[in-house]
Amino acid sequence: MAELPLVDLGVVDALRESVGGDDDFVRELIETYVGEGGDHLTALAHAVASGDAAAAVRPAHTLKSSSASVGAMRLSELCRSIEAATREGRSDGLADQVESVRATWDATLEAFRTEGLAA
Amino acid sequence: MTEGAPVALIVDDSPVNRKLLAKHLESLGIEAREAAHGRDALALLRDGASDVAVVLLDIVMPEMDGYETLAAIKADESLRHLPVIMISGVDELQSVIRCLELGAMDYLPKPFDPAILGARVRASLASKRLHDLEVEFAARQAEFLRTIERQKEELSRFLSPQVAALVSSPEGAQLLAGHRRQATALFADLRGFTAFSEAADPEEVLGVLRAYHASMGARIVDHGGTLEHFAGDGMMVFFNDPVLQEDHVARAVRLAVAMRSTFDELAAGWRKRGYQLGLGIGIDTGYATLGRIGFEGRYDYGMVGQAVIVAARLSSAAAAGQILLAPRTHAIVEDLVDSEEVGELQLKGFSRPIAPLNVLRLRSEAMAPGVTPA
Repeated sequence: MAELPLVDLGVVDALRESVGGDDDFVRELIETYVGEGGDHLTALAHAVASGDAAAAVRPAHTLKSSSASVGAMRLSELCRSIEAATREGRSDGLADQVESVRATWDATLEAFRTEGLAA
Repeated sequence: MTEGAPVALIVDDSPVNRKLLAKHLESLGIEAREAAHGRDALALLRDGASDVAVVLLDIVMPEMDGYETLAAIKADESLRHLPVIMISGVDELQSVIRCLELGAMDYLPKPFDPAILGARVRASLASKRLHDLEVEFAARQAEFLRTIERQKEELSRFLSPQVAALVSSPEGAQLLAGHRRQATALFADLRGFTAFSEAADPEEVLGVLRAYHASMGARIVDHGGTLEHFAGDGMMVFFNDPVLQEDHVARAVRLAVAMRSTFDELAAGWRKRGYQLGLGIGIDTGYATLGRIGFEGRYDYGMVGQAVIVAARLSSAAAAGQILLAPRTHAIVEDLVDSEEVGELQLKGFSRPIAPLNVLRLRSEAMAPGVTPA
């Protein structure tokens, strides 16, 4: 399976179109996403540290959903797989996956900056 | 946001989702409120001033998730009619089905499509409005029924109970407009009242009248008579209208005998105070016109016909303690009563004299209502 794009510009365009071409709003939304994502990453890290798979379900789920809303598709997919695994109580490899989420998160922010969508 | 715009509550732990939904709702003319989880949402909804008309509810949330929130809303009498639309990802359809079973109205797939959001929110708002209208209608109807009951109760104080019931009945308008029917009229008035009222203090006269009206009124009600009016010492009662009574003539005669014996007890007390009062009663039966009689502003439910006139004249002609029946009326109840002839009377307004009969007593088999042959 080809790796998903960090930021799917098609999704961002569709998002912009759905709000009547309001560029400022799209930027604000991504800003909100950046602020929100930090919290979810912290919650995920905490879940890994305490070996509590169940505690990872919700932040993974919410970050999956928010990421998809702004077109951060690769991160969304990673979160989806963490959510699926932790829902089944599997915590093996969780630390690696969370590490991968953190790296992808940084790359995603960089991609938004490159596209002029984040400061 | 414009005054009176419908209000939607977004319950989602993702600020991105809340912000995006709020933006879409705003473009649909819907004001958005936000809550990050179920507990906040319930607090907001239970605030007495809440004007939320639809709830958009995420499933996976901290503190209180969507299932718990939905269950709490549906278990709360004041919130259960609030439409709830579940927000769900494509991989959450199983959860959505569970929510629909728990009482959610609809679901909104992620990523959000403004057209779908608009259609579902509008449908939910319409259903909420319909429910609110139903509640308002039911409240108005209950108030309306209470008013009618109160009016009926008031009316029954002013009118004879049968007439009060008639006014409120489905066929009331038709019967009030006037109809012809066989009916029995009973007139009663006092002998010696004019002399008494000239000699006694007005307070005493009123006291006597009150006692007389109260005790006669009770007998009239007991016998199912329709009281047309009290006027000073006179009263008119009729039977077989508006409530049909197969034994209307017998009822009138039984009432007359009951009135006479009640009156005798009253009169014994008055006699000790020096008041010489007697009761005269006249009864006749025949076809009559019954319905609303009078003029705009003052109507009575009344009976008009020859039987009414004959009964009135007989009651005037009756000596104290007499119950005079016109011959045709007596013929109907002759097996029920012992009576005596009192000779021919020339009644005012009638070309021929009539020979009424005075009821002495009821025969024993006629005493109890219900054993009388029709």
